[in-house]
Amino acid sequence: MAATPIPLEAQGIKKRFGDHEVLKGISLQAHKGDVITLIGASGSGKSTFLRCMNLLEQPDEGELIVHNEAINFRATKHGREPTDWKQVERIRAKLSMVFQNFNLWSHMTLLENVIEAPVYVLGKPRKQAIEEARALLDRVGLLDRADYFPTQMSGGQQQRGAIARALAMDPEVMLFDEPTSALDPELVGDVLQVMRGLADEGRTMILVTHEIAFARDVSSQVIYLHQGVVEETGTPADVLDNPRSERLRQFLAPKH
Amino acid sequence: MIDLQGYGPRLLDGALVTIELAVLSLILAVILGLLTASAKLSRNRLIHGIGTLYTTLVRGVPDLVLMMLLFYGGQIGINMLTDQLYYAFDIDIFININAFVAGVITIGLIFGAYMGETFRGAFQAVEEGQMEAARAYGMSPLLAFRRVRFPLMMRHALPGIGNNWMVLLKTTALVSIIGLTDMVRVAAEATKATHEPFMFMIPVAMIYLLIATLSEWGFAKLTKRYNTGFGESSEWNN
Repeated sequence: MAATPIPLEAQGIKKRFGDHEVLKGISLQAHKGDVITLIGASGSGKSTFLRCMNLLEQPDEGELIVHNEAINFRATKHGREPTDWKQVERIRAKLSMVFQNFNLWSHMTLLENVIEAPVYVLGKPRKQAIEEARALLDRVGLLDRADYFPTQMSGGQQQRGAIARALAMDPEVMLFDEPTSALDPELVGDVLQVMRGLADEGRTMILVTHEIAFARDVSSQVIYLHQGVVEETGTPADVLDNPRSERLRQFLAPKH
Repeated sequence: MIDLQGYGPRLLDGALVTIELAVLSLILAVILGLLTASAKLSRNRLIHGIGTLYTTLVRGVPDLVLMMLLFYGGQIGINMLTDQLYYAFDIDIFININAFVAGVITIGLIFGAYMGETFRGAFQAVEEGQMEAARAYGMSPLLAFRRVRFPLMMRHALPGIGNNWMVLLKTTALVSIIGLTDMVRVAAEATKATHEPFMFMIPVAMIYLLIATLSEWGFAKLTKRYNTGFGESSEWNN
């Protein structure tokens, strides 16, 4: 039986900013359909780790393997860099990222945002891209906003639009970097509902979040990071309901 | 056609020279400006240094002096180079700097430095997240520049470009010094011959004004285009 390729694998990722070592060797394996949640206090390195996976940050050490393809690195005087940026671009196109601040392109309408990368990066015919984009916008409940610009939409709408943009790439893995942290509390629910739908349909997702209840519901694995180290990992039941370390227990304790 | 004591057609030819010169200089200035802005934002210290040297030099020396330096000095330099080629490789070429080309190069060089500053500020005004999203979705640096950074940057750069263009347009009058027959030179000659300065200088002023007015209209259109997605009323927001 041929092994199905693992969508994303990170091994021993280390990252330093100046003298400060932010990631001290973190590994992760995202199998198809996994929803892996990274939690931890700010400064624990969870966002940096996520950004290493699509090489928005260059890991100083460690391996990244996307769908059986290892990313090649070479040493330069500025530190380690990918050998082949074309390879990086190809791999990034398979790992859609959803940002904390949405980062929809502000000079394009929502529809243009969604078709941009499929048309210009994947080379999809425009007509087909538009059809697919409209279906995705419908799915996230924004079909009536297709011709709006990001500044004309609420944060929650922008984030759902950004999720549609991510889905339009039909990604191997979706990376979510604190997708609800910049939202007003009453807008968080809509975004989480869309994400829950993705988890239910078997999308492979890696998620950095502060929404512990949501993490408990959708995750197949939870990773608790502290100061660049994996402190605890396991199923939500293991990590969130039976934390072993005092630190994690405090982290999970309701804030007053 | 207005005759202006027989100078009318020549004045129009001169106006055409002015426009050609201005437009070609603008194109060169924009290209140089983009390169300069990239150089000055580069992490490479040598490239950064070259960009800084260029803008400092050009902005610190009067336009007229630069123009003469380039026109006369450039010819001497090219002659020396072609002489060397002849002695060393027996290649015999003669390049004559034509006043029009010299004008375009000088004005392009001068305004390239100003454009460089305009573009640098505009590049920096583009929110980093916008480019990050472009990278994260697999865009190559060139594609990300074309589809994201450039259109976003133009919104910030257009007022500066428009301003530079107006000054550039008027700077073209300097080329009469190096023997190019633009409309100012025609008007000056006609004035000398007829002792009727107003008959020629007022039409010249009107033509400059006309070009400037048309440009403002064009820039207003461009500004509108590159402003799409920004500053629309917030009544849509809900």
